[in-house]
Amino acid sequence: MINVNQITHHFVLGKKGNKTIVPVLKNISFQVNQGEIVTIVGRSGSGKSTLLNLISGFIHPTEGEIIIQDKKVSEFNETEFADFRLQHMGFIFQNFQLIPSMTAFQNIELPLILKGMSENARRKTTADMLKKVGLEDFGEHYPSELSGGQQQRVSIARALVLEPPLILADEPTGSLDSETEQDLLQFIRELNRDLGVTFLIITHDDEVARIGDRTIALADGKIVESGVFA
Amino acid sequence: MKVKDQFRFIIQNMKKNKVRVFMTVLATAMGCAFLIVLASVAFGLHDTVLKDTMESGEVTQIQVHGYEESETSYRAINDEDIKLFEDLEGVNAVTRQKSILQEVTFSTEGYEVPAPAVSAHFPSEEKSGLELAEGRLPEAPNEVVVGHHFASSLIPEGQSAEELYDEQGLVKEEFRYDENIIGEPFNLKLKKIADGKESSGDFDVTIVGVMEAPAREWEWDQNVYLTDHLLTELEDFTGTPNAELYDPSEMEVTETSETSYDNVTVYAANVEAVKAVSDKLKEEKYATYSVVNEMKQLNMLFNVAKAGLIFIGTIAILIASIGIYNTMTMAVTERAPDIGIMKAIGASPKVIKRIFLLESSYIGLIGAAIGIAAAYAISVAVNLALPMILEAVFDEKLPSGLRFSSIPFSLILIAVIICLTVTILSGLRPAKRATEIDVLKAMRREI
Ligand SMILES: Nc1ncnc2c1ncn2[C@@H]1O[C@H](COP(=O)(O)OP(=O)(O)O)[C@@H](O)[C@H]1O
Ligand SMILES: [Mg+2]
Repeated sequence: MINVNQITHHFVLGKKGNKTIVPVLKNISFQVNQGEIVTIVGRSGSGKSTLLNLISGFIHPTEGEIIIQDKKVSEFNETEFADFRLQHMGFIFQNFQLIPSMTAFQNIELPLILKGMSENARRKTTADMLKKVGLEDFGEHYPSELSGGQQQRVSIARALVLEPPLILADEPTGSLDSETEQDLLQFIRELNRDLGVTFLIITHDDEVARIGDRTIALADGKIVESGVFA
Repeated sequence: MKVKDQFRFIIQNMKKNKVRVFMTVLATAMGCAFLIVLASVAFGLHDTVLKDTMESGEVTQIQVHGYEESETSYRAINDEDIKLFEDLEGVNAVTRQKSILQEVTFSTEGYEVPAPAVSAHFPSEEKSGLELAEGRLPEAPNEVVVGHHFASSLIPEGQSAEELYDEQGLVKEEFRYDENIIGEPFNLKLKKIADGKESSGDFDVTIVGVMEAPAREWEWDQNVYLTDHLLTELEDFTGTPNAELYDPSEMEVTETSETSYDNVTVYAANVEAVKAVSDKLKEEKYATYSVVNEMKQLNMLFNVAKAGLIFIGTIAILIASIGIYNTMTMAVTERAPDIGIMKAIGASPKVIKRIFLLESSYIGLIGAAIGIAAAYAISVAVNLALPMILEAVFDEKLPSGLRFSSIPFSLILIAVIICLTVTILSGLRPAKRATEIDVLKAMRREI
């Protein structure tokens, strides 16, 4: 599913003549198989988010290649990557990243609109999705009118609405209390089991890390451990 | 993403900042209206001039003055030339007139007037669309048609000039001939010189028709139009071509007395045919004059004026475009986090760009629509009010049919194209900026 091949990444700070190079990832290689849940753990600043952003195509790797579903995405241009994200990836962010001026319904509908689905089909799909995440009564609520857990469910619904085979999550429980965290983990397990969705989840929470079939531990931009989380 | 959805999207976005969008639309509308109203003056005056010319009935006419035998010498048009003209494609009729080259006096029952006499080929005149105010065209050789002012030029015999005319040079009301002139028998008096002695001859003519008044108010027509046949009789009497007053025995006859005309007008079938016919005539070395050809220069002048005014109007739209640029830049900045999220979940830069371009062109389009409506209203108001104001201020009647402002469809089209082009161009940079928004920065609310 995902094949990360000898990725090295550094950020360049400052302007010409006064450049600082911040090395973040060093020669990272790993694979995620279809239907797997892989968690990535590591201390703050270890490069977890950077790794996920590279896989998501939000930034370009300094070196190395990333192959997702047999596509060399690290060579995609911006438009190609955007299309690829729409077709193949769902995203769950720590702070939900909902559009505040849109209702829960509209936020979930957005990927369908981008894909060019007809209005009727969109309505139905979105309504089904709202029900699936248990928010059928909250469709007309704006994000500011929802609790953190509800907002995260909206964002999950948005990530799932196009039924992508892969979901990337950066600290999905970071803003949730432990009870809603449990709900979310349960939901992830069900999706994985019932629909075979592949998950790559970044966390620094042991509880979350444990749902992974495999866990990769990062430290100072290197993989220090890989295996079942203990 | 479907166009319909993009559209719904921008409507939603525009609703978020109604006042700003409204102001921008207003500025665009003002620029657009300014352009249209400004240029409409050139269009209006041009229309007025064109209409005036068209209505004068002269547009389809081509006057032929002569045939260019060499660089410096012309000869008059003869029957052979007339035949050639009549056979040209696009020619409706060829009228030809010959003037009688001496003063002819017409008299009836104590009234008389010296009037220019002209012979005409009436079938051609009729074909050319000649219309009479009264009566009919001559059928018998001694029947004549008179000009519109002929009757009012008749004066009682033996009156002194001081008493006869008013200060405008017209015959005073009390001396006017006040009977119906149609069917009236007249005496035509003509002089000749034979063997050094001058004598005069009388011919009986009957007026069967009166011409329409000339197209222009200041034109005066007291001509008498004779048949070719009567002219021949007169020529026989004087023994000279065109019944000119000289002794034929003293003149060397150089040419065979071939008929030549001094007023030849070719009538094209329609305005479009005028150019072709007149070009053909020029090619055949005839000296011609047509209003349409003269109009070309005038049209050119008006077109330059129109272009100039449209250019000035465009500047107003350019100024409005600064507002659009500003509005769009602010919109992009405000929506940067949303754009970042959309890009993250898979909106391609192209879609983002299109949404913003659509928004700026939508503003431009609404602005143009409102501007056009306003321009129409202003145009109507100007056409109504300006003549009244001018008449009040200068105390003089303006020519009827004068239009200050006219908005043809082409002007609307030009304005819309300019407006849209300018607004799209001004939205281009903000739209490009929107595509360049960094997803991660936007999601961290760093923009
Ligand atoms: N845009 C950036 N510019 C410069 N340095 C960055 C940038 N993003 C992240 N870093 C640096 O890279 C390192 C790893 O960051 P990150 O991947 O966010 O770590 P994690 O998610 O594991 O906490 C940090 O030291 C951080 O300061
Ligand atoms: Mg992080």
